[in-house]
Amino acid sequence: MDQNRKAAIKLTIARILAYLFVAFFVILCLFFFYLLLISASKTNFQLQGKFSILPGSNLLVNLKNALNDTMINIPVGMMNSFIVAATSAVLTTYFSALTAYATHVYDFKFKKLVTTFIIAVMMIPPQVSAAGFVQLAYKYGLTNKLWVLIIPSVAAPSIYFYMKQYLEATLPIEMVEASRIDGSSEFGTFNRIVLPIMKPALAVQMIFSFVASWNNFFMPGLLLTKPEKRTVPIMISALRSADFAKFDLGKMYMFIFLAILPVVVVYLLLSKLIIKGVTSGSVKG
Amino acid sequence: MKKLLSLLLALLMLVTLAACGKGDDPAPAGGDEVAEGKVFNVYAWNTEFQGFFNKYYLGTEPCVDTDGDGVLDGYFENAPGKHWVDEGVTFNWTIVPSDNGQYQEALDAALLAQGEAAADEKVDLFLAEADYILKYVNSEVTQDVKALGVNDMSQTYPYTVEAATDTNGVTKGVSFQCCPSALIYRRSIAKDVLGTDDPAEVQELLNSWEKFDAVAETAAAKGYLMTPSFAETYRVFSNNTTSPWVDADKNLSFDSAITTWMTQAEKYIANGYTLTEGIWDAGKNAEMGKDGKALCFFGPAWYFNFCMGPAHDEAMGDWAICEGPQAHFWGGTWLLAPAGSDNPTILAEIMNTFINNEEVCSALIANESQFTNNQTVNNKFAADPDYGSEFLGGQNDVAVFAELAKNIKFQNNTIYDQYMNEGLQTYFVEYLKGTVTLDEAIQNFYKYVNEKFPAVNVPAE
Amino acid sequence: MKEKKRSISYAKWGYIFIIPFFVVYAIFTLYPQLLTFYNSFFENYREGLTQIGPNFVGFANYVKLLTPTSEGTIDILKYFGNTMIMWIIGAIPQFVVALLLALLFTSTRLKLKGQGFAKTTIYMPNLIMASAFSMLFFSLFSTVGPINQILQGLGWLDKPFDFISFKISARSLVALMNFLMWFGNTTIVLMAGIMGIDESLFESARIDGASSTHVFFDITLPLLRPILVYTMITSLIGGLQMFDVPQVLSKGIGMPNRTTFTVIMLLNNYLGGSKNYGMAGAISVILFIITGILSIFVFKAMNRKEA
Repeated sequence: MDQNRKAAIKLTIARILAYLFVAFFVILCLFFFYLLLISASKTNFQLQGKFSILPGSNLLVNLKNALNDTMINIPVGMMNSFIVAATSAVLTTYFSALTAYATHVYDFKFKKLVTTFIIAVMMIPPQVSAAGFVQLAYKYGLTNKLWVLIIPSVAAPSIYFYMKQYLEATLPIEMVEASRIDGSSEFGTFNRIVLPIMKPALAVQMIFSFVASWNNFFMPGLLLTKPEKRTVPIMISALRSADFAKFDLGKMYMFIFLAILPVVVVYLLLSKLIIKGVTSGSVKG
Repeated sequence: MKKLLSLLLALLMLVTLAACGKGDDPAPAGGDEVAEGKVFNVYAWNTEFQGFFNKYYLGTEPCVDTDGDGVLDGYFENAPGKHWVDEGVTFNWTIVPSDNGQYQEALDAALLAQGEAAADEKVDLFLAEADYILKYVNSEVTQDVKALGVNDMSQTYPYTVEAATDTNGVTKGVSFQCCPSALIYRRSIAKDVLGTDDPAEVQELLNSWEKFDAVAETAAAKGYLMTPSFAETYRVFSNNTTSPWVDADKNLSFDSAITTWMTQAEKYIANGYTLTEGIWDAGKNAEMGKDGKALCFFGPAWYFNFCMGPAHDEAMGDWAICEGPQAHFWGGTWLLAPAGSDNPTILAEIMNTFINNEEVCSALIANESQFTNNQTVNNKFAADPDYGSEFLGGQNDVAVFAELAKNIKFQNNTIYDQYMNEGLQTYFVEYLKGTVTLDEAIQNFYKYVNEKFPAVNVPAE
Repeated sequence: MKEKKRSISYAKWGYIFIIPFFVVYAIFTLYPQLLTFYNSFFENYREGLTQIGPNFVGFANYVKLLTPTSEGTIDILKYFGNTMIMWIIGAIPQFVVALLLALLFTSTRLKLKGQGFAKTTIYMPNLIMASAFSMLFFSLFSTVGPINQILQGLGWLDKPFDFISFKISARSLVALMNFLMWFGNTTIVLMAGIMGIDESLFESARIDGASSTHVFFDITLPLLRPILVYTMITSLIGGLQMFDVPQVLSKGIGMPNRTTFTVIMLLNNYLGGSKNYGMAGAISVILFIITGILSIFVFKAMNRKEA
């Protein structure tokens, strides 16, 4: 009896500590969204001086200014960002899954070599190819073309790696064989049988790559020079440097706030699927 | 997965719709024959000039509030370029931010491709700042504006013409504004330290660096700061150098004016006359607020009108301007004529409008708080006893600037200046803060120069 | 036997399915990588509007990068060291906190409520652009920012502390930001790893009377090691590419005294503006070699475990 009570007390204490620990990090994370929101509610003049953690009164004015800005056309930027992020996310997950499936299910001569090669090149930082890529883009007049930012996502070694680990844990080869007996083509089997099994993994990588692409600054900054082709992060940097006279910090924070809103919404709507995705996937290394 | 895709699609449609709602008007379908190209392309790094251009040259945007409801609704009637719109010419603006050299990169790409570009794609006008104007002026990508018909520059301030003139004496553009920079002082502190806040008397007490140093000591003794930033006086010195940052043999050297500034900054920090805050830091801006302790700021009209936020919010009217120890300028926008433009007539007309059209220039002062590049118009406002700035407690700022503008020199500038000026300030402040030695700070500055400009030789140790 | 035959007859599909990946990789990644390598042997940049080069210079760019300065340090290795130090300061708490959170979320004993909300929230800092996030941080920790106001209000400081002017605090700020942006992501991945462990292993351990500490060190940690290594590799790769956070926080100069200056910031200095493809190429190749060496170490560790 005493033993049990002791254990119960211990559990309660552990629970309280656990809640406090989790709550601390949750609040910390929410705090930055709060900061962003209050910054978006201040006037330019308020933001120039001492930084205060109390909200300002200029939220609606900033919103109006941001939407009416003739230089930064946020809907156009969002559409460009969206085209790049959404298509990259779809392409990168689909083709990584396809490549992973090929090296998982089929036996071919260079299979081992292919797998080792992809995992090895995963280690090469993208900046290594950046200089050459930019040079080629300028040489062949490929600047200001969104597809130049999209197509490379077909070959994403680290996503391939994740997909392969996932397939190894979840796809029994018998399922593929059963599908063949039913007369399905190889490509059809992948699309109709394998992809649905991989749904959670696809969702996870889709949101991860969507976010990475939405926030990507490096390559788009070097390649997109025309205003009507810019993505949101490039537009925001444009605002920051706009000029002294028209520079409005309040409006800029409002832009940042508006820019992350779509990602937050997509993320919140998908988060159930994502959490389920990673946790039901059981990626055994 | 279906849910995900349909969600993505729905979002895409929303964004598309929003974009369409804000889309550009279709180009007017002009049918008659003009010798000029149908598309006039302008490159700029912000929309400041675009606004003035639309309001006063094309007359397509309202510029005054006629019924007092806070919304601009009156148009500028005698807009010189209005007829071009009726004749079907489209004005295309390409606006690229200057951050990280992005504007220059985009502009360079366009100008270098100017030869092969289709007529409607050619750059017809581009804007440039003082910090890099020479890169374009001293090159083949710009053309002589006198040959285009911009002949009368008698009204402009000489330094604005010098800046746009190449080493052979050919002028490649004009400035639509003039940016003399003044000493902006806080009236209440001036009264305490100097016993007066009258601009003429304050100027008398601060018209040389010796006097400036003496006042700094008095101010510090009373618990004030002379300036809010170690770099506050930088432009005053760097505009008055006797040698360029980089000479003809590409050797980098510090002009004596720059080293004098460095000595001053060191002394001011050591004696507590100023702060280690950078020119745009929040800590400097805080000195503009109600608890601000700094006596002197330096800047042109755009600076005190738009960049002194806390001063507007908490210390309105407690300010005045005078010429200060040395004449100098800060910023300014030049209109340059690219070679190969297919719209030379419009190009020349725009330039003439912004330097010689007195009606347009007057509107720029009255409606836009600009200090124009037309001396007659500026002097008219300078002499107007009813004209004054609320921020400056009613002082007529145009009068001060008109005096200052006469003494500005544009000399010893190079294509490297922007990087040199910004780089030196950011690396030198580390020494002032005591985190590096002077030698380390200078070496770090040299490393930075080397990374940005491989051909420039930094002094050997 | 039959099984093998069937696989062979389908082998061509293996090749067909990897074609898109390799074609795109070859054109958009491999070719530029080779070009970068090629560029590194040339003088090739722009000054103003004048193009200089390309002129073949052999190893001159490498020599320039690897020549010790007057202080006797090789700058690029110093910047590489900065990058690694800032990565490690951030990565250690990132993995410790993520592991703890993952354990708490998966604990069948504690059965925490509101998990969905917590799991969703901790990933959210990752949604804010790194540059925007650093700007918020910058104003938060500026000399007149709220952190300084609070510390002065509490009487812990008598004058403002300039966080970005001291090596330790400036590096810690960069690390703290990286930590905040990535610990949620790591938590989610580690959670997946823990849930993948066979539940019966925990059951039998509990029946044997093993303490939670024992379960963690003897079952969870060893079985989680592959996934830990996976996340560490991706974190290392991300860490080596550190750019926007220190760029914004240190005003692009890596203050103080270039101690927060990273390799990619150096690359950016050469590439932006003067388009110095020669030097940028050489930096990239050096970065590749360093990453390669590090990766071999990590892979060795991984393979030893899997064997």
